[in-house]
Amino acid sequence: MEYEAIDALRERHAAWRLLRAGNASLILSFLGHFFVEGNRGACAASELGAALDDHLYSLNAAIHTESGESRYPKPPKAYLEDWAAPDAGYLRRFYPAGGDEVHYEVTPAFEKAYAWVESLRARPFVATESRLHTAVELLRQIVHGTDTDPQRRLIELRRRRDEIEAEIAVVESGELPLLAPASVRDRFQQFTTTARELLSDFREVEENFRRLDRAARERIATWEGSKGELLNELVGSRSEITDSDQGHSFQAFYDFLLSASRQQELTDLLDRVTGLDAIDADRRVKGVHHEWSEAAERAQRTVRQISEQLRRFLDDQVWLENRRVLDLVRDVESAALAVRDNPPAHGLAVDEPGITISLPFERPLYTSPAAAEVESLIPPTVAEVDSDVLFAQKFIDQARLMDNIRAVLPAGSAAFLSDIVSMYPIEHGAAEIVGYLALADDEVDIEMDDSDVTILDYTNPENPENTKRARLPKVTVKRR
Amino acid sequence: MSDEREVASAIIRLMQGVIYREADEDTWCTLERAGASVRDHFATIGVDVAIDEDEGYAYLRTKPDEEGEDPLPRLVRRRSLTYPVSLLLVLLRKRLVEFETAGGEGRLVLTTDQITEMLRLFQAESTNDARIVDNVETTVKKAAELGFLRLLRGHSDHWEVRRILKAYVDAQTLADFASRLREYAGAVAAGD
Repeated sequence: MEYEAIDALRERHAAWRLLRAGNASLILSFLGHFFVEGNRGACAASELGAALDDHLYSLNAAIHTESGESRYPKPPKAYLEDWAAPDAGYLRRFYPAGGDEVHYEVTPAFEKAYAWVESLRARPFVATESRLHTAVELLRQIVHGTDTDPQRRLIELRRRRDEIEAEIAVVESGELPLLAPASVRDRFQQFTTTARELLSDFREVEENFRRLDRAARERIATWEGSKGELLNELVGSRSEITDSDQGHSFQAFYDFLLSASRQQELTDLLDRVTGLDAIDADRRVKGVHHEWSEAAERAQRTVRQISEQLRRFLDDQVWLENRRVLDLVRDVESAALAVRDNPPAHGLAVDEPGITISLPFERPLYTSPAAAEVESLIPPTVAEVDSDVLFAQKFIDQARLMDNIRAVLPAGSAAFLSDIVSMYPIEHGAAEIVGYLALADDEVDIEMDDSDVTILDYTNPENPENTKRARLPKVTVKRR
Repeated sequence: MSDEREVASAIIRLMQGVIYREADEDTWCTLERAGASVRDHFATIGVDVAIDEDEGYAYLRTKPDEEGEDPLPRLVRRRSLTYPVSLLLVLLRKRLVEFETAGGEGRLVLTTDQITEMLRLFQAESTNDARIVDNVETTVKKAAELGFLRLLRGHSDHWEVRRILKAYVDAQTLADFASRLREYAGAVAAGD
């Protein structure tokens, strides 16, 4: 490679930047454990932040610096945002269509750096024999898969059949040639390396698909000619996502992996291999085909989403409209810059959504508000009062009350508090009623209507024989 | 609910505002099934029902006048917005297009700071930075009232740019605004 190319990579490639970063050990250990070892896709910021918090806590407790401050002082959220910043590029940050929370995912550049760091660990030995076998086998597949001469293929097939017959003869005669333990370990090591590489490659597959999609969109957005020519160009140049090399290879892999017989075969093979004495396999190897399926499923979902969005983007209306909009916005921007010191009084005229209907006779006549009577004069008393009652506090679990409400009320509806209480009787007395009234949550609104009265009966928690009655304004519980 | 009542409910919801598939599944299903009867109902009073299946929203707009017929009085009102709000909507529209072109998945979310930076370029030079920030806040609140920005739950300054903006601030509206602004700019330059 040339000097300039390498220098450019050193400056700009995220994986190299990560290796040069000051906090590289933290980033590699945490993100590697969470995303790579855990085989996770995109994750919500809160989950990731909580895990990072734990990790930082244990690290800060274990590492002592000269100045006495903690080694990693910033809050988890700040670290995550730094790692997702454009000049870092270890994490990808986005808002998914379904929820309101930001999601993070690790980039292929990170996977590369992590894989490289893992490879630095000294291996007990390097598998050469099995890799040579694999290389020769691959060559054979290519040559015979592209051979158009039937004679040559027949010769090859017959040669293989003779080999197999010779093996059958040997086994029938009672000898069982077994692989030496060293050969077994050799092959197993190659298997684990390949399996792990496959897993980390999936993220790169997804990234490639995204890149293809972005390239296609750029072409569409800056196309100067007619729509027909654009479609010709796209179809002709194999830039459509599933038709690219990446797409074909991925599809073939996916079909191969997902057939039921394959899955069964893989499970059996993995079970037997991990049971062999010669091999010291770790737990993860047994389920590696499940991890492949999960990762492949994620990549497949991404491809589907991207294709769907691209189809929408290519839609006639959208395409023309977008082009015109950009031109018009440029006009508006240049005019706005010119009048920046004397802004005009007028602006856009936009449709109002819906049709306003005013029904003057629907408005109710005046009703005087119910007066709340307060008796605040209590004559002082000299009697001794047991003040322990003040300190015997009851703890009301607001989460339980919320669960009660959620169980009774479907989202977007309302109910009276008396209905909720009849389904979930009050166990902790008046404190529970106050707990309901004091619920402060985004999901639930508590409204009190002074014009009517609710009566709630409950058993006294101290004296179960005794029933008490509470009288309060009508309470409506609304769930968003 | 019987079919007729479902259609009636859909009609009323449309008159009350925009229907989003994610917020109101039932009405959306009714629209998909019985869309024709809803459209007929509105067609008699000169109102068109626009349903965008891909984006997942439905709203009302005036039917374009037919040639040779007397125009009916408009039911769907147009309201004029102030210049700052209009400028904000135009810039947000541009950001939406850029977001889609870059293959944006999910939603476009901007913080109040980012919006302030976007608008700052088009404000008069002022040493009163606090005033600019206040003005931007008022403008953003107004845009949210109109339904084009939505505050994300749990955040006080993250705003989602709703895609309904594409339907309401379309090429025609932009063209009118652009031409009036250019005239105004010409008049100001000539008057200097």
